[in-house]
Amino acid sequence: MTLVLAALMQQPAAPPAPPPGPAALEVGAVAPDFAIPGATRYGTLKNPVRLSDYKGKTVVLAFFFKARTKG
Amino acid sequence: MNAYRDKYAQVFNDGRKVVLIAISADVDTALASWARDADYPVLFGSDTGSAVGKAYGAYNAQYKLDNRNLFVVAPDGKIAYRATPFREIDPTSYTDLGAAISKLMPADSTAR
Repeated sequence: MTLVLAALMQQPAAPPAPPPGPAALEVGAVAPDFAIPGATRYGTLKNPVRLSDYKGKTVVLAFFFKARTKG
Repeated sequence: MNAYRDKYAQVFNDGRKVVLIAISADVDTALASWARDADYPVLFGSDTGSAVGKAYGAYNAQYKLDNRNLFVVAPDGKIAYRATPFREIDPTSYTDLGAAISKLMPADSTAR
């Protein structure tokens, strides 16, 4: 009985499906640099957005699914 | 993105010393028109091909899109905080994110 309970308690209520694709980078990892086309509410940018341009600042990278979707 | 916009001043220090880059697989023109329509004050990055998503482990191979993962890159270029996934509509997400950002801010930078 104890064993069964222990086994049950180790099971999460709703196991999340593993995300397809590579695992997310860990805290402490060096953030890979990138250079991608950029845009703001004033239009597209002439120069690419580079992470290395913001060295010395805190940068929040927020990935999201798709423009004009909720969330 | 609405929640990001509405939390911008509070969590992102109005962009002072904190740069928010929102990244998706959309083309830059789609991002620009959306940002204009919704008045998003943030910088968008167009990750068509998802090279950045793959590098950060945000790529979703099933949908060929970037998952809603969030990373805070400290001034030294290392990842200081991550939310995988970031629950954009959950207010506690911003409490945690705000705390992570505050830890990286110089003490006087939030003063007006």
